[in-house]
Amino acid sequence: MEALIHQYPWLDELLMGFIGLSWKHVVMWAVGALLIYLAVKHDYEPTLLLPIGFGAVLANIPHSSAVSNAPGEQGFLIVLYNAGIANELFPVLIFIAIGAMCDFTPLIRRPSVMLFAAAAQFGIFATAIGATLVGFSFEHAASIGIIGAADGPTTIYVASRFAQELLGPLSVAAYCYMSLVPVIQPPVIRAITTESERKMKMGFEGEEPVSQTTKFLFPIMIVLIAGIVAPISVALIGSLMFGNLLKESGVVENLSNSAQNELANLVTLVLGITIGGTMSAERFLTFDVLLIMALGAVAFVFDTVGGVLFAKLLNLISPTKINPMIGACGISAFPMSGRVIAKMALKEDPTNFIIQHAIGVNVAGQVASVVAGGLVLALIPALAK
Amino acid sequence: MESATSKAITLMTVALPTMFAVIGVFIFATKALHAAFPAPVEEDEDDDDEYEDDEDEK
Repeated sequence: MEALIHQYPWLDELLMGFIGLSWKHVVMWAVGALLIYLAVKHDYEPTLLLPIGFGAVLANIPHSSAVSNAPGEQGFLIVLYNAGIANELFPVLIFIAIGAMCDFTPLIRRPSVMLFAAAAQFGIFATAIGATLVGFSFEHAASIGIIGAADGPTTIYVASRFAQELLGPLSVAAYCYMSLVPVIQPPVIRAITTESERKMKMGFEGEEPVSQTTKFLFPIMIVLIAGIVAPISVALIGSLMFGNLLKESGVVENLSNSAQNELANLVTLVLGITIGGTMSAERFLTFDVLLIMALGAVAFVFDTVGGVLFAKLLNLISPTKINPMIGACGISAFPMSGRVIAKMALKEDPTNFIIQHAIGVNVAGQVASVVAGGLVLALIPALAK
Repeated sequence: MESATSKAITLMTVALPTMFAVIGVFIFATKALHAAFPAPVEEDEDDDDEYEDDEDEK
């Protein structure tokens, strides 16, 4: 072949894709195809897994122009990466969209549910410790732990700062496990609760309506408090609350609608395919990625355990009893986790409707995950010294 | 590796209580905000009307 190419140099140009092909590329096509299959056939986070899967295919074609890093010939996925991931712009824009979609009314009505959300972030820290025990550096371990925030943009935000080389697998693990909440949470909850606990009913007394003024001031208040505690979290929580302010102000309906629809769709699209573009064979086909996928599952299990056990602990000291299952909704996978737990309660007792409480805790999880992300962002540089 | 583990443990021991403290402030401030701006009765009725309208549309 080499002699032939030497004789006909243009053959090299024509066959370079074929010549550069290795088994690793083919494996990555299979990984991309698997993500596309999960998105299309099983509806697992399709808006993200479909672009990520296709991006992975584009990145693993030998000499792909999509990920070319040659000066003056940068591929569009590299341009998008530099424009939106390396500088953390895309996760922030996604947060504006999420904020515009969020209704914090259940949280304002019963703010104490934020305690469950805080407890459910336990998975972040337990997983970070676990990751250091299997050999990851502190910065990488903390970034892996953030999968436990069950919040894709937070994971991407932290990883783009402290674990750029792990961005692809971290994002894939975060989104895969978020879509696997219905598979992961029920068996864990059943293992650590009794049947009578799962059948506990919860009342709705003392839940006053929330004024529009309160809804409008709530995001401003949260930004100020979180910003004072951890200024580094302002970009994350500020964009989340800015989106919510657009919605609750009631005077910029077009902007709010644009954030919820056009902005969300556009940034999700470019974010997904750009993340896929980081999944090159040499980065992805490593033992570390297998470990990250395993630790991602561990993070979700610890989140669930942390939330449920905290609810059980509160039941020991509080006169008002709560169904401990709602502690598991404190993760940020909204509204999937809330729905899963409400369904579990109905399965145990068809007259037990806890969906409102579960969704309230799940909304609180959105805020708590960003607070946790902000604290981790603030502490990593200080502790890494 | 031990150093990384001890840093991760420190991260947990600092971040978890801090998070509960921040959430505690959130809870207190949210309760105060909710109490300072109670929903007028009319607003509640409006909400009910909207709900009924939604039901009609369905």
